[in-house]
Amino acid sequence: MPMSCVAKDSVGDLGRHVPALSSSLRPRPHEELREWGGSPLVRGKRVLDLGCGDGRLALGVAPFATRVEGIDPDPEAIAAAKRNARKDGVRNVHFAAGAAQHLPYPDAAFDLVILSWTL
Amino acid sequence: MVDALVEIHRVLAPGGTLVDARPDSRVLAYAERRKPRGFQRFGVVKTSRLELANDRASDRAITRVVRDGLFKRRRTGRFWHRVPFGDLAELRNYLREHLRFVHRAKWVVDGATRKRHSNDHFVIRRAVRYELLEALRSPRNISPARPRH
Repeated sequence: MPMSCVAKDSVGDLGRHVPALSSSLRPRPHEELREWGGSPLVRGKRVLDLGCGDGRLALGVAPFATRVEGIDPDPEAIAAAKRNARKDGVRNVHFAAGAAQHLPYPDAAFDLVILSWTL
Repeated sequence: MVDALVEIHRVLAPGGTLVDARPDSRVLAYAERRKPRGFQRFGVVKTSRLELANDRASDRAITRVVRDGLFKRRRTGRFWHRVPFGDLAELRNYLREHLRFVHRAKWVVDGATRKRHSNDHFVIRRAVRYELLEALRSPRNISPARPRH
């Protein structure tokens, strides 16, 4: 398949073809959050982490947020995210498998949506 | 990609914030040797053509939803991030397997220097860009996708 076709197909289906990236190769959540504006950006907010992978960022911002939802097309990544949440004892985070094009949430359900290394 | 951004706009409360953060393919990444104090540049690492195309498509999608009145740009920025490796071989393996970068660094030091320091710790230093966008209350009509030639 020509490279241009691969590019077109993969960008046309956001979140469907790209596997979750390894968390160990990415900045730490508090480093990313600091650059974006720090904890005030998240504090007291309803947060959606789109393309959450193994929950690295969702779990990182959870202590500041009211509620965090993480969604990712990779069921294995979601299973890992749930394990990580249990391990860390984080209770205000929920993870679900799904695609960005059809989010299973009502209108205006969030104050903050994070696309970290997803788009 | 635009349909995902429209869906994000739907679930965001008016005035809510969208954070778009991703590796910045507009600047080079660097392979660096860790020294007792600081780092020594050993090579440059370009982004793969496929990822460059993906990043441009993402940029176009953001531009379109801003133009269509779904979001307003609030703030942009960039920071640098270091990915650590135990030695030079580990860094090379990473490049061989990683999809974002081309599979070989362009070295700026000679082979003898690379060999002499091959067991040192290395990093790839790369840029991460981010943008904060505000969800607007009443989007204008979404413009139809333009045919690509």
